[in-house]
Amino acid sequence: MSLRLKLLALGLATLGLPWAGCRYAREMEAALREGEQTSLQAVAQTIAASLQGRTDLLYREPLPAADAGEEPSAAASAPEAQRTRAAPGTYDLRPLALAAAPLIDGYPDDWPRDPGAWAQFSHDAQHHFGILCGVYERMLYVLLEVHDEHPVFDAPGSNWLDPATFGDRVWIGYEDSQGEEQQVFLAASGPGALTARRIESGEYGEKRVIIEPRVRAAWQPYRDGYRVEIGVPLSMLGERFGVLVDDRAARGAPPVSYGTLRSDDLHTLGRLIVASPGLPSYLAQFMQPGLKLAVSAADGHALARVDALAQGRTLSSGAPLLARLYRRFIDRPGATSLIAAQAPIYDRDHRELIGSLEVTQTPDRWLRLRDRALTRMLNFTLGTSVAAVVLMFAFAAWLALRLARLRRASESALTRSGLVTAFPETTASDELGDVARSFSTLLARLNAYTDYLRTLAGKLAHEIRTPLTIVRSSLDNLEAEPEGEAARTYLARARQGSERLNAILLAMGAASHVEEAIGSAERVDFDLVPVLGSAVGAYRTAFPQRAFATELPAAQIMLHGAPDLIVQMLDKLIDNAVDFSAAGATISVRLQLEDGACLIEVENPGPPLPAHLQGRLFESLWQSRPDGDSRPHFGLGLYIVRLIAEFHGGEATAANLPDGSGVRMSVRLPR
Amino acid sequence: MKRLIAIVEDEAAIRDNYAAAFAREGYAVRCFANRAQAMAAFNTRLPDLAVIDISLEDEPEGGFELCRELRALSAELPIIFLTARDSELDAVSGLRLGADDFLTKDLSLAHLTARVNALFRRVEALRRPDASSEILRRGALALDAERMQAQWDGKVVLLSLTEFWIVHALARHPGHVRNRQQLMDAANVVLDDNTITSHVKRIRRKFQSIDAKFDCLQTVYGMGYRWVE
Repeated sequence: MSLRLKLLALGLATLGLPWAGCRYAREMEAALREGEQTSLQAVAQTIAASLQGRTDLLYREPLPAADAGEEPSAAASAPEAQRTRAAPGTYDLRPLALAAAPLIDGYPDDWPRDPGAWAQFSHDAQHHFGILCGVYERMLYVLLEVHDEHPVFDAPGSNWLDPATFGDRVWIGYEDSQGEEQQVFLAASGPGALTARRIESGEYGEKRVIIEPRVRAAWQPYRDGYRVEIGVPLSMLGERFGVLVDDRAARGAPPVSYGTLRSDDLHTLGRLIVASPGLPSYLAQFMQPGLKLAVSAADGHALARVDALAQGRTLSSGAPLLARLYRRFIDRPGATSLIAAQAPIYDRDHRELIGSLEVTQTPDRWLRLRDRALTRMLNFTLGTSVAAVVLMFAFAAWLALRLARLRRASESALTRSGLVTAFPETTASDELGDVARSFSTLLARLNAYTDYLRTLAGKLAHEIRTPLTIVRSSLDNLEAEPEGEAARTYLARARQGSERLNAILLAMGAASHVEEAIGSAERVDFDLVPVLGSAVGAYRTAFPQRAFATELPAAQIMLHGAPDLIVQMLDKLIDNAVDFSAAGATISVRLQLEDGACLIEVENPGPPLPAHLQGRLFESLWQSRPDGDSRPHFGLGLYIVRLIAEFHGGEATAANLPDGSGVRMSVRLPR
Repeated sequence: MKRLIAIVEDEAAIRDNYAAAFAREGYAVRCFANRAQAMAAFNTRLPDLAVIDISLEDEPEGGFELCRELRALSAELPIIFLTARDSELDAVSGLRLGADDFLTKDLSLAHLTARVNALFRRVEALRRPDASSEILRRGALALDAERMQAQWDGKVVLLSLTEFWIVHALARHPGHVRNRQQLMDAANVVLDDNTITSHVKRIRRKFQSIDAKFDCLQTVYGMGYRWVE
């Protein structure tokens, strides 16, 4: 794993910041929600307190002590009446508090889809209807869904009082504001709007039918029968209200009558329990967007509802895209976002429950608050994270670059024995700079040491020369004074020793001599082929124990350089080849042009190069010679080869022959 | 009268050994350890030949200075530089200062005395008015073995003793390759290959300064050198 990736991973760890931020936001949300819940509860209690004892506001009119003629508890005492109101009769209708006025068209589309709100009345399996009532502002809306396999229309334009023309009819019975029982009927002669009519008895008992214009209705068939949608102003109505369906098998046939009116005298059996028309407007004063107030009767039946939830929601949809995105990450799916508070409404004496108030609030208000904080925080932290990651990546890249530079420098410094001490990064003030500096120092020391070693031989040769001169001149003098046979023998030995010392001296100084020669060498243009040819000719004479094979090109190869040095270089290569090959071996000398450079190769059969010497063979003072070699060697031969090759801008390499039978030394000289 | 050889050498053992060798050859020898002593004596009496070490006691280049002063006193006095150093630069500067030869101390005493004798012979030959000595002629080259003098196209080429012997060894048998060992033997020196090479180069340069087209001294790579006419 590269440094870059490591630091990148480290940078990614800062993404924990936004995560922690999200956690914090959630907690904050919970706290906010709790606070909001408390304040909502306070609001609910305040409103409920303002409604305390206001039965007149809650209900259209104070409900009489459970009259309900049909009910067994008709003559019950006051407390019992209260109880009865709390436990209503089966024929009572409880209109929903509608959010909007439905269009009176006979279709149920604009009614709330709430199967529980339907009241069912049936005569038998074939005859039953469902009724759904609702109040919006000052209107009572009724939706009847009558099961009737054969709807029968009234004869059009008929006499409304002639039983022979009667089709299916719907009767509406109610108690008007004076407490008088009233009835209107709806007779459809086809789908569409219906007119409500009432039958009035004249002064003399004659009956006539007059239109009741305040009641509007519409009739539409549906799969199992027909629907009648009715709108009645609440101002018409008193406490009681009922519906009766006359189902006829054919026009004029005797009807099957059933519903919430007594079928014989159309007396209303049930009451209409509906909130006071003033309640919604009373509640409206507490309204705010995103709030819903609902007042229920003590039995849990909804009386009035003021709903501005949707308003609140529309407000929140304008939130910035980013905020919505963040919310998706934070909100737990399925978590309810609405908060609600309930408060009981008591009577004046604070003894009896007359209803309850539920306040519901969309989360938008505090969500917006949270979103704003969250968006800002996430923007900051994410921005910080991204910046951190980018910075770390850039830093890592920079660091890696510096390290790579350092590595390259150290590698190139090590591959050349001239040891480059000019190191990159040494001016940097950080730890990398320290490393570079210590590298540089190390290399400088190593360089000094190498220099010392390299010049040691020369210096030593120089220093030894004087005492050696003393020895040799003394020996010379001694030779001039004959001292007898024994002395001559010793003298000869001393002379031998001093000659060997001298040879050692020469060998030791060889490198510095070559360096000197290189320093003063003159470059000329010369043909390499005859130079090598004549040199190899000389080697044949000099080393009769070895055979020499040459591969020289026919054409001339011109080189700009010092032929003396080239020959000297070849001398060293041949010396080396001779030393490492057995008597009788064939040493090959090859010259060829390769990629525009001269390639001189000397191959000798013999032991392969030891692995530890690969690449250092051409350094000063390295040698790998079998022990027991009497001639002085200082590992300078191949170093001289390198010096001369480098003088010509070339390089020297050594490699084992592919079959391992020997060694090939190559010198590549650019032209 | 015995010829007087002055040895200026700070290393007592070497100095005494040289002195003994020269005395054995029948020369009078005076030894000096430093430049001041030597100059004091030279101002009184000039020696017939001076062997001077380059580094003298605390003067690393004292020999050069002494050579310059001595040359100022006498133009003909043969001067041999003798040094433990063997760098090319020293040899060049020594010879430019007018030394007749530049030798390293690993030279054997026999070689040294041979050289001294040769130099005295040359001084004598130069003093003799008649030019009866044998002259080796090879084309434009004329070598006077007695005077140890080389001429090219009648112009004198100033060669050091070692250089003269090298040219002489090569020109005696034109066309024959002389290897380095042979040249060293002829010049009474023991030198390493590079020194021989630089001697040859210097010889070429000296001839070329007279005749730019000179190329009689050829390198036979790997073998040695030869004189071609």
